[in-house]
Amino acid sequence: MKLGHKLSNAIFFLLPAIILIAAFYILPLIVTTWISFTPLRDWKISQLTEFVELENYKALYKFVTTHPLGSLVLKTTIVFVVFTLIVNVLGGLLLAIATYVIEERVSLGFRLLWLIPRMTPLAVFGLIWYYFFYGSPQGTLNAFLLKLGLIDQPTFWGTDPNLLPWSAWSIIIFVNGLVGVSYGMIIFYSAFKSLPPELLIAAKVDGASTWQIVRHILVPMARWHLVFVTVWQLLSLVTSYTHLFVLVDWRIVDEWYGTTWALFVFTEAFGTVKNQGLAAAAAVILVIIGSLLGLLTLRIMRFDKITLEPKGDI
Amino acid sequence: MTTRTLAALLLLAAFIAAPLAAPLTVKAQTVPDLTGNWEQDVIAIGQWLQSNGISTVHYTVQAAGDPNSVMRMYGIVEAAYRINQVWQQNGINVQIQVDTNWESSFQKQYDNFVTQYELGQNGDFFVNSYIYIATLAADGRLLDITQWVQAYWNNVFSDFYTPLMEAAKYQGKYYGIPQDTEARPLYIRKDVAQCMGWDLTGLDEKVKNGQFTWADVFQKAKEAVEKGCADYGLIHRKGSAHPDLIQFIFAFGGSLYDPNTGKLVVDREAVYKWLATEAAFADAGLLPRNIMDWDWATQIHPTIVGEKKSAGGTGNTLFDIGGTWYWTEWQTKDYYLDPQTGQKRPLTPEEVKNKFYYTLFPAGEQGKQPVTLSQPFMWMIAANAGKDNPNFDNPDFKKAYQELAFLMVVEASDPIINAVHSVISAHVPVRKAASALLKNETFINQLRNLQLPFSKEVMDAIAPIIQKTADPINIEFLANVSYMLEYTHLAPSHPYYSKLADVFKQAVDRVLKGQMTPEQAIQFIESSVNADPDLSGNVEFTGSVPTGWSLLPTTQTTTTGTETGTSPTTTTTTTAEGGNTALIIGVIVIIIIIIAAYMAVRGKGQA
Repeated sequence: MKLGHKLSNAIFFLLPAIILIAAFYILPLIVTTWISFTPLRDWKISQLTEFVELENYKALYKFVTTHPLGSLVLKTTIVFVVFTLIVNVLGGLLLAIATYVIEERVSLGFRLLWLIPRMTPLAVFGLIWYYFFYGSPQGTLNAFLLKLGLIDQPTFWGTDPNLLPWSAWSIIIFVNGLVGVSYGMIIFYSAFKSLPPELLIAAKVDGASTWQIVRHILVPMARWHLVFVTVWQLLSLVTSYTHLFVLVDWRIVDEWYGTTWALFVFTEAFGTVKNQGLAAAAAVILVIIGSLLGLLTLRIMRFDKITLEPKGDI
Repeated sequence: MTTRTLAALLLLAAFIAAPLAAPLTVKAQTVPDLTGNWEQDVIAIGQWLQSNGISTVHYTVQAAGDPNSVMRMYGIVEAAYRINQVWQQNGINVQIQVDTNWESSFQKQYDNFVTQYELGQNGDFFVNSYIYIATLAADGRLLDITQWVQAYWNNVFSDFYTPLMEAAKYQGKYYGIPQDTEARPLYIRKDVAQCMGWDLTGLDEKVKNGQFTWADVFQKAKEAVEKGCADYGLIHRKGSAHPDLIQFIFAFGGSLYDPNTGKLVVDREAVYKWLATEAAFADAGLLPRNIMDWDWATQIHPTIVGEKKSAGGTGNTLFDIGGTWYWTEWQTKDYYLDPQTGQKRPLTPEEVKNKFYYTLFPAGEQGKQPVTLSQPFMWMIAANAGKDNPNFDNPDFKKAYQELAFLMVVEASDPIINAVHSVISAHVPVRKAASALLKNETFINQLRNLQLPFSKEVMDAIAPIIQKTADPINIEFLANVSYMLEYTHLAPSHPYYSKLADVFKQAVDRVLKGQMTPEQAIQFIESSVNADPDLSGNVEFTGSVPTGWSLLPTTQTTTTGTETGTSPTTTTTTTAEGGNTALIIGVIVIIIIIIAAYMAVRGKGQA
């Protein structure tokens, strides 16, 4: 009776969350996996009941191993995720430290400034970088460098073959880094703010320099936050494609070096090809890789230890 | 009291019987079949609709194209207006209402149509390129109109140019009606030619006879740039190899489709020669390496019509691979930067005539034929046309709505509508009666004075375009280019053609940018096709890459050939190395991060 009561209570409180997770995560996952075994293309819904076994996965394997662009998509994904992750985590940490050590009044404005890219609608943000990197003399970067006399010909920064592939990669890392860096900044800043002030006061009394405070107090105390932000950003970067789509679609970056696995899934399903079966297979692979990365990082974080009930309370 | 009860019962019976009676009438009176007599059919369908309680029929037309091609949309609106007139005159109280949906990019509109179809939100009429007929018909998204086309064959469709009607077929059945077509001339700037002392007289004949080939185009382009008369030798489209650049394959004697096997064809020799030609132009600095990334409105057209950069213009070119519709587009859009005023403005018809000479797309090399490529636009009727009307699920109603849709397309193909569209959008008429109107002075005068038998809505929409474009110079141009249809080629109407064209685009772009040699590009095309599940079973490779071929059969060519060979290889290698280094760095950094994170957490745990 007591157990039943406990259970019904648990169900009552969990139900809204369960429904939401089922409707917006589990169901799409099942549908995607289903589609990956069908020949669905051009959104011809009647094909949803035809099955092609592992054809889509085989085609995907063939794409990665034999298509000239297959390996490029993998390379771009790895470069993009790794470097944007570094920018987001280390950049966020640096910004948090900078805003923590400076005066609160200035710090607030500074933090707000860094939040602008995150708050700007995608199309507007994309347009800003479209004009910034545009290859004509009117492109902001070109106009600036031309004025300074550093270049004598306007350059298509993200598509010029002489600058590829790092130029295109730099642009996608830069633009996504600008959006992502504020996330780490907010988390780390609040972590620093929640530290007991005695620690810092004691350190200062003992004559610690700012660098020593950062090195021996701030960073070690924010270790868990660091790991959390790394995991969180890693998982979102693996699946993020919106900013990349705008940059590639507007031909600001070369499509070969601007297409990550996630963007490949999107263009395969919604681009000129519209092969939703293949796209679903690629999406399933993405989910599997994302889950593995997530599990791996949870293990590193020793998630089981954090979630143990504190013994003293019993 | 009894009478009252009886009356009440009768009334009740009437109420119950009334709704039941309606479906009965549908069954009793079948939907009339189409006879081939337009007015008679319109009246018959109107009467049927009225007798079945329909007072308004609602359709949506979904069309695409450049801003001057709006008759693709208004043709249907006008047809609806005319049918409404006929019904009104015959005392039929039914009205057609048409909603319109316009998109400048025809590919985008196709995307819209396909994604909206499953949701039932697509247009009933879809006006787009014939290349989509195969895919859409194979997917069952277009209405098979074969039976009705046959009914109207003698009265209407026998007047259409045969190759265009053939392009409307998929597996022997009609799924569209040609709406317009075009030719793709090679435009030559008369002022640049004059600057370099080149007399263009009789050039169109030389091109026609295959005496002036792409080797000559290259020589002239080089001369123009070297003499300082032009910034570029050649400008062409961006973003896609289809349709403009595909002409090279035909001009080098290649083909894209094998009718015996029903498969697409990659003709290695012709494709190689096309890519080598593009490479020669790009390597010699005559064609911008990043032309595939250029912008239509701010770069491509301004350069085609513009003045030299040194003269305060936007840059200029000697040659341009364009289309007939460019002729009026230049007159309506602000592409020309006037060096005198510093303002952008459209050109006048006289200016266009004085600036541009036009020929067929020259033969690739000696012994080959000049070509052009047409991409007829089609009126297509969606398989679910009429879906927004009452009782659509009833087969009789569905038939009535779809027959009516077909009758609207028949009326939209009216010679006057077609001729007006041709003039204002600089497309070539699809039927002989419309071509004849272009030579009819009375019609031309009526058109110029806006005395057309069109509804006010349509007239208001197109009057500003007519005023800008209906010039004797433009009409003369259309008459002068119509011979090009005799040399026309059509890209195959195959479900995977656009996918193959996309592979070609990637190859051209990389060759132009020097990231691949033409030989490597052929390799790239082969491996892309073989790695693609759709293409590998639907494409066959023919011929082989010719050894030692180059565009110019002189000593100069050898230099060009070598240039094409060396520099790009270097770039490709660099790129590949850059990619591998990145991969290695990436993996190392991931490992370092994981180890660092692990140690950090371990440290914390132990502490």
